[in-house]
Amino acid sequence: MVSDKKDRFIRTIDEHKKIIYKIVNSYCPNREDRKDLEQEIIIQLWKSFDKYDDSYKYSTWMYRIALNVAISFYRKERKWSLKGDFYDEASIFNMVDENGKDEAVLDGQIKLLQTFITNLNELNKALMLLYLEEKSYEEIAEILGITKTNVATKIGRIKVKLKKEFENI
Amino acid sequence: MEASELKNILEGYDRKLDRNLKLNSAALKNINLEKSKKKTRTVLVHRVIELVSYTLLALFMGSYIATHLGQTHLAISGSIVGVFTLIALAGSIGQVVFLQQIDFTKPLVELRKKIELVNSHGLLFVKLLFLSAPIWWSYAIVALDIFLDIDLYVHLEPGFVVRYILINALLLIPLIWLFKKLSYKNLHIKWVRKTIGFFSGTKTRKALEFLNDIEEFKK
Repeated sequence: MVSDKKDRFIRTIDEHKKIIYKIVNSYCPNREDRKDLEQEIIIQLWKSFDKYDDSYKYSTWMYRIALNVAISFYRKERKWSLKGDFYDEASIFNMVDENGKDEAVLDGQIKLLQTFITNLNELNKALMLLYLEEKSYEEIAEILGITKTNVATKIGRIKVKLKKEFENI
Repeated sequence: MEASELKNILEGYDRKLDRNLKLNSAALKNINLEKSKKKTRTVLVHRVIELVSYTLLALFMGSYIATHLGQTHLAISGSIVGVFTLIALAGSIGQVVFLQQIDFTKPLVELRKKIELVNSHGLLFVKLLFLSAPIWWSYAIVALDIFLDIDLYVHLEPGFVVRYILINALLLIPLIWLFKKLSYKNLHIKWVRKTIGFFSGTKTRKALEFLNDIEEFKK
């Protein structure tokens, strides 16, 4: 029974692994700390696995847990380095190329985008991640716990900031 | 670069992840899923100990007041200490309730606010310390009576007591103002930020700063 549940859980994590991977990389640039954050997110997802409220999309529920854990970790471990290589190999999630080798070099534009996200404060970072994931304003509002109007206003402000940040590119 | 172009970059990244991101099932199976590194449980234990201590102190003060009803100054001093104990007790109960409500499936803003209110608990004691300044004498009277069986009040000159009470009563208004001012909503004021940092430490100040960020984020 427990094994069934664990298998279902592993399948679910596999289906949604990109969510965890992106959140971990955005909140935790340091490789060693990243492993801890990955594990803590997995543990909290497991603990809440039976409490999943199907009135929400599974991804909404997962985003809430992963972002909540990531922000808690980030606030506890401010000493995290901001100079790490964001896309290096992680323990639970591995990036490999088509030939199975570690993928070390990623596109410069993606790194730039990641740097922009990393430099936002904790809550704006969550908002930005969700916006770039093309979540609806309604879903973003549900995950963050603010109104739809508020989401729209804040996204507008971040867009202006983005434009300024990237105007020389 | 426009936001739409950034979205295109992210879509490219998504495709790359679809191709190359692999779950390490063996590593996942090896995680002890029941063992969280979170410190919530430790904080809860501390707060419960605090709650039990204040409950015992409140009961003790109740008994102290009852046995000293005939000595007005001791009964009044005991009542003052009792009231502050009850305020601290209410704060501790609130903390335990918040900690029980911490649930990572809740929306971010709601959960963060609860966590930071727990983290900024130290401010309550600083505020109580300031607010009770005019009646610090009551602590001394009660403590000397309990621990050394000395009734300080009978050794004081009556004129001194009246002057002391009057002067300290005048302090009450600025202290209430200070009590209200020491809040995360006023962290933009330099002296508020410094006072909170000095008396309650960096952890409390940072928690309050984040509460302020949450309020800003909700606007």
